[in-house]
Amino acid sequence: MVEITPEITDTLKLQGGRDLEHCYQCGTCTAVCPWNIQGTFSVRSLIHRSQLGLVDFSDEQIWKCVGCRSCVQACPRGVDIPAAVRSLRRVISEVGAGAIPRSLRTVAANLAGTGNPMGEAAEARSRWVEEAGIRSFTAGTGLLLFTCCYHALDNRCRRVALAMTEVLSAAQVDFGVLKDGLSCCGESIRKAGKEELFTTLASSNIRHLNEAGVRRILVGSPHCYNTLKDEYSEFGANFEVIHIVPFLDELISADKLTPPAAVNKKVAYHDSCCLGRYQGIYDEPRRILNSIPGLELLELPDNRANSLCCGGCSGGLWTESKSGERLSELRIKQAIDSGADTLAVSCPYCLIMFEDAVLTSGYEGRIEVRDVVELVNESVRGGEATSLR
Amino acid sequence: MADKPAVFLCSGCGIGDSLSMEGLSSTASSQSPDSTCRIHPALCSQEGLRLIVDGLSAGVTTIVIGACSPRVKQECFSYDGPAVVERVNLREHVAWTHEPGHPDTQAMAEDSLRMGIVRALKVSDIKPFTPEVSRTILVVGGGISGLSAALGAADAGSRVCLVEKSPSLGGWVTRLHRQYPKEPPFREPLETGIESLVKAAQAHPLIRILPSTIIEKIEGSPGMFDVTLNSAGASETIRVGAVIMATGFQPYDPDRLGHLGFGSHPDVITSVQMEQLASEGVIKRPSDGKTVQTAAFIQCAGQLDSDHLPYCSSFCCLTSLKQALYLTGNNAESKAYILYKHFRTPSLYEDFYRNAQESGSIFLSRTETPRIITAVDMLTVEAQDLLLNEKISLNVDLVVLATGMVPSPAPALNLAYRQGGELPELRYGFPDSHFICFPYETRRTGIYAAGCARQPMDSLSSREDAYGAAVKAIQCIEMVARGESVHPRAGDRSYPELYMPRCTQCKRCTEECPFGMYDEDSKFNPLPNPTRCRRCGICMGACPERIISFADYSVDITSSMIKAIEIPETDEEKPRILAFLCENDAYPALDMAGVRRMRFNPHTRIIPVRCLGSINMVCITDALSRGIDGVILVGCKHGDDYQCHNITGSELAETRIVKMKDTLDKLSLEAGRLRVVQLSLEEYGRLPAILDEFLESIVEIGPNPYKDL
Repeated sequence: MVEITPEITDTLKLQGGRDLEHCYQCGTCTAVCPWNIQGTFSVRSLIHRSQLGLVDFSDEQIWKCVGCRSCVQACPRGVDIPAAVRSLRRVISEVGAGAIPRSLRTVAANLAGTGNPMGEAAEARSRWVEEAGIRSFTAGTGLLLFTCCYHALDNRCRRVALAMTEVLSAAQVDFGVLKDGLSCCGESIRKAGKEELFTTLASSNIRHLNEAGVRRILVGSPHCYNTLKDEYSEFGANFEVIHIVPFLDELISADKLTPPAAVNKKVAYHDSCCLGRYQGIYDEPRRILNSIPGLELLELPDNRANSLCCGGCSGGLWTESKSGERLSELRIKQAIDSGADTLAVSCPYCLIMFEDAVLTSGYEGRIEVRDVVELVNESVRGGEATSLR
Repeated sequence: MADKPAVFLCSGCGIGDSLSMEGLSSTASSQSPDSTCRIHPALCSQEGLRLIVDGLSAGVTTIVIGACSPRVKQECFSYDGPAVVERVNLREHVAWTHEPGHPDTQAMAEDSLRMGIVRALKVSDIKPFTPEVSRTILVVGGGISGLSAALGAADAGSRVCLVEKSPSLGGWVTRLHRQYPKEPPFREPLETGIESLVKAAQAHPLIRILPSTIIEKIEGSPGMFDVTLNSAGASETIRVGAVIMATGFQPYDPDRLGHLGFGSHPDVITSVQMEQLASEGVIKRPSDGKTVQTAAFIQCAGQLDSDHLPYCSSFCCLTSLKQALYLTGNNAESKAYILYKHFRTPSLYEDFYRNAQESGSIFLSRTETPRIITAVDMLTVEAQDLLLNEKISLNVDLVVLATGMVPSPAPALNLAYRQGGELPELRYGFPDSHFICFPYETRRTGIYAAGCARQPMDSLSSREDAYGAAVKAIQCIEMVARGESVHPRAGDRSYPELYMPRCTQCKRCTEECPFGMYDEDSKFNPLPNPTRCRRCGICMGACPERIISFADYSVDITSSMIKAIEIPETDEEKPRILAFLCENDAYPALDMAGVRRMRFNPHTRIIPVRCLGSINMVCITDALSRGIDGVILVGCKHGDDYQCHNITGSELAETRIVKMKDTLDKLSLEAGRLRVVQLSLEEYGRLPAILDEFLESIVEIGPNPYKDL
């Protein structure tokens, strides 16, 4: 016998599960949830437990949701299910109602200590900038390039950051970076329930950006994009935030950038959750890829709004899941079956998840994972991949 | 009537390719030597139709048309005046369903034509029964259904007498604090508006309202009901043409819901009591007046429960949502938990459901076996949550039981009918009707049930139901005035005529009529009330003395048609099967098989009947003694979900055939020569196979020994 506890429901509603009670238990969310392709994850039941205040806070399922929003776009009652799940995580994190997975605790400690999830020293963040010789942002610079922790610190993703700067230079865009002060945007740790930590990171970033006189921000990660564009305003921020994909699309459309050389690849584009379902950006990356000579664009079976999540959002990147149950492995299989030799992405999380999946599912050498920006840069550089400096 | 029929044969639509028209023409003249016969390649063309009209102008009064099914081109082949028009189905039932040019196909067509000519010659003039009618409509019950019916009928120009047993009008709706929304956008609870409906009825010049009045007796029949009313001891008799029964419902007796805590604690109340609490403002506990913070609404408090009300009452889910809003709307801190079995908010009520959920304090869960545990100042609800498959418990201040509807207790009408004073009922006390085709019709012609007296429904449905019943009542009076049947044989002007000198007072007609048409005198003689009659002929089928006939439908006509069938000698090895097809489903089903060019054996001869119940068993013995090898009756489904337009007709026929099989023994005939089959229209594809299988089984049994006698 479990007792219905209205107080728990009230707490969850205060922590962001505002439209919990709109759910009428049809189960559509569970039916469309990608975790049910290979395993089981009853979103419906999690929501019903929240409605009645019957939550088992030690339930590991609470940490399963990656916030891909497949359920949100299918829900007939318009319930923000990831927000409801986040409210459960917040109650655990902030009130201490249950245990946070160990990997998340480490990440949280790193973010609190050095401002990035890897725990690298804060100074390491700007090392690539110095190596690449990028200008610092000054009051007269038009655009600030806000770098994702992964673009700055991960060896593979750093090649994307370099490609980004090379393409921007080729198009003669006036941009600069802030070498000191900025830290992680906090997007994923917020979805993982660490509201207080997110507030600290966001406030610090906003303060540094404002002090430097930044008005327009260009971001390379769709996670940073969503946070800076849609969530920082909760703290009084007022920036114009642009993601690199629509930015390049506009440059190409305006003939300010024309990919000159052929890139003879069969490319399947993977819609990331953050750029796709969150922001509705589907056509822009496809237009960019189609503008590259020699590139053949293929479609994956689950595409655009029905795209399959890579499994990396909302802390998924930091928590271990078993090989054989990973969405990223499923997606790589789809890409190979589609006949592609390259899987194009527009998000560092997708890049990491898929490169890992290529290795764990034994497809090494059969497909490579590239960021859209890298493919553009390859054309700009006359068919050569981005130089590793 | 006339002895010189004019036969018109159409050779179009493939009939001429399949059949010898000359052969048919000589069949006509040998069957009726005085007849004339014309053949036309397209009888429904202007030229063809002129042939018939010319015949009529030349004084012909009996016309036999051998062409398509009588179910099609009815406008084409209908004529003003007293002419008898008999249509023989040569197209769907013969040419389209049998091998062209085959002698057996020709034999089938010739038998059909003979039967048609015989029938046309036997039909006599219909003299319709056209009594002086009252056009006043009696409405019984002054709740929302009765008021709506009265206003609907009066606005259409009918005089209305509205009788209400209690002193005031408005019924249950007057007890509601608010009603759930009945108009777009279907979001917020609304005022009921019942006062304005009462005022409109009171102000209407054509409506006479009699409160505190009961009905002592209703005598007579549609068009001329004599109603004896009693208002506070004073009797009055009025004449009305039709009756609308809008006697409403009673809430299910909560004293029988002890298992849900009713009676054991003052804070366990019904949804009816909740309306009273809500009208007093902030919801307070009946026990101690404390403001209610948490309430549980138990849905299906008795409904969908085989020990209580096995049916859904349809309004309770929405009522509980509304009442939950009473609570949370008045007290932002409060919470309402609705525990349901099946949550039903059909059509646009979905928007109300959604709005209630969005209010933020209403939680629903699908549960079973709720149990209420009472303590002095606390109620606990325990139930199995089917969405979690766990047992849950909930502490609340108030428990509201959403009780269902049962029909108001009899007596209401006090009909002076031989078959009883009230409407025949279904299992749960609601009046019987043909639920598929004629939901408004009760089993008493001219008496229409509306609103919750008919089935559980909410006030919006009740209003719509009432308007429908009002229109049916007006239609009934107008058709009765013209001497026509109201339904299902709408417009039929024939009615049963009884040859009383031979009546043995056996009471079969008075008991078996599904519509209570017959009353009875003190010597048990049947007293027909023609305007109550539906013209089904079940009494005709029932009468052992065969004294009941219609001008155009009788035992004599059917038996003569059977005698017109030519029976080949045994050594010809051509069996003959007689198929009686009910005109409502089976006959059109065979037409549909014809339209789809399905084949069946050419040894079957078809006679359409108004209802299987109208077949007198003497027709079957006639057929068998004539040498017909087998008789099959195809009619509507019976049982709980019956489809018989005449309620009991197909079932009665089956009972009669079972008894008939016993008597076949005495004639040394096999019981297998008789078969009754239930068929619904959409099963038309089965019908050819049913007829063929029956033929096979008859071939197995062997030829009828009476054939060569």
